[in-house]
This record gives sequence, structure tokens and C-alpha cells, in this order.
Amino acid sequence: MGGTALVPAGAEAEILAELRRLRARVPHLTGALAASVDGLVLAQDSAATEAESVAALTAAALGVAQRLSDSTGQGGFRELLVRGEHGYVATYAAGNAAVLTLIAQPRVNIGRLHLEARRSSLRMAELIDHTLGRRGGPGDRP
Amino acid sequence: MPNVETALKEATTIDGALGAALVDYASGMALGTIGGGKDLDLAVAAAGNTDVVRAKVRTMEMLGIQDEIEDILITLGSQYHLIRLLRARGSQGFFLYLALDKQRANLAMARHQLKKIESELEV
Repeated sequence: MGGTALVPAGAEAEILAELRRLRARVPHLTGALAASVDGLVLAQDSAATEAESVAALTAAALGVAQRLSDSTGQGGFRELLVRGEHGYVATYAAGNAAVLTLIAQPRVNIGRLHLEARRSSLRMAELIDHTLGRRGGPGDRP
Repeated sequence: MPNVETALKEATTIDGALGAALVDYASGMALGTIGGGKDLDLAVAAAGNTDVVRAKVRTMEMLGIQDEIEDILITLGSQYHLIRLLRARGSQGFFLYLALDKQRANLAMARHQLKKIESELEV
């Protein structure tokens, strides 16, 4: 689990349930985690991957992706797909304060991954923005 | 050699066509779609039918059948869904997906026309 107090336990359980649902719906996923945009784990459901370091790296990649998207006139960040020799890492915006990062085997159906992850990230955005909103909103964070 | 766009346009001229897509079943993503709409989301169809094709390929491997899939027909109450795998050199790993209105379609003719489109298409 995240071990951070960014979201209340109830919300964390709901995010985790969403991650589990996602892993059940998309074959060949090996890891799923929700992180804040500044790199803290909100919830994770993964086989082996180091969630903390993935979340931190996601935040770094997110910063570059955001600037890249911005400076080429593509607007706000939506998603990032990295294909390595042995699989994929995909990051989807979940509202303004959080992202959903998924790790998948090379055999994964990317079309399905996108469809399911986009839906999940919307639901997570509602969950997270709602909780963070009640606690002052993402604008207050560093 | 028609390109993806013209091939898909041609597919929509088949009687009863509701939508068509050319799909890369390595990724489950569509290279092109035509038609569809809110009743038929072709991105969902592309991803879902990728699983159908992969499952059939795997089943044939498990059965030890050393052959190729030419096409797959799915018959619904009100529609036909035709999946036709591309077999031309350099164009493997793709399939054409065609959804037809059962009332308006002629299945034999549709299958024949889709075969023709597939044989002429180069990705």
C-alpha cells in the first residue's frame, strides 16, 4: 500500500479496488499503481515492481511529458506510453493531481489497455479530486 | 494497390455495412476505421476482436492445426460481424473487421467482396 496519508483510507481502498478491477480486465498486466503527480504512491497492485521508485520516475517523466505536450501546442498531459524490449509502461492522467501507471507484458492488447485505462483514470480522477478537493485542492500542493 | 482509406471506403459500399476497421492484432489498435458511431464503437471492436483472433490462433496451435485463419464469422441476432485476416506478404498481423446489418446484408456477397478488398490491400 501507499503508506502515505495523501488520501483517506476509504478512498485508498476504492482506488485499490479500481486497480484490481483493471488488472482483472486487461490480461498481461503485471503492475498497476496510482500516484500523485509529485511522485507519491496513492495505491498499488503489482506483482513485483518497486512502487515507490516507479511512482517517483513517473513524476519525473510526467514533468518532461507535460512540457513536451505544452511546448508543441498539444495542451495538457493525457497519457504516456513507453515500449521497452520486454514490455510496456503506460501512464494516464487521473485528474490534475494524480496519474495511473500500468506495467504490461509485450503481448498486451494496447487497444484494450487504452480503453480500460482511460475509463479507470476517469473514475480515479473523480475519487481523488473529490478527496483532495475536500482537503484544500491540488493547487495547494508544492 | 489501394491504401487503407480507400479499402475501408470500399468496405462501406458492401450492402448492409455498418462500420469497418483495419486492425493490428499485435497491438489491438485500429489503423483506420470507417462508419460506426455511438451504437458501434470501433475502437472497442478493434480491441475486443483482437482477443477473438488471438484466442483462435492460440486454439489452433493447441490443436496442432498447421493452417491459417482465412476469416471468422460471428452471427448476432441482428448483425453479422466478419473478421478477415490479411495474408499478403508484408501485411500479416492485421485483420479487416466488418459489421453488417443482417436484414440488409447478403452474407455470401459480403464475404466475397471483403475477400477482394483484403487481397488487394497492402498495409
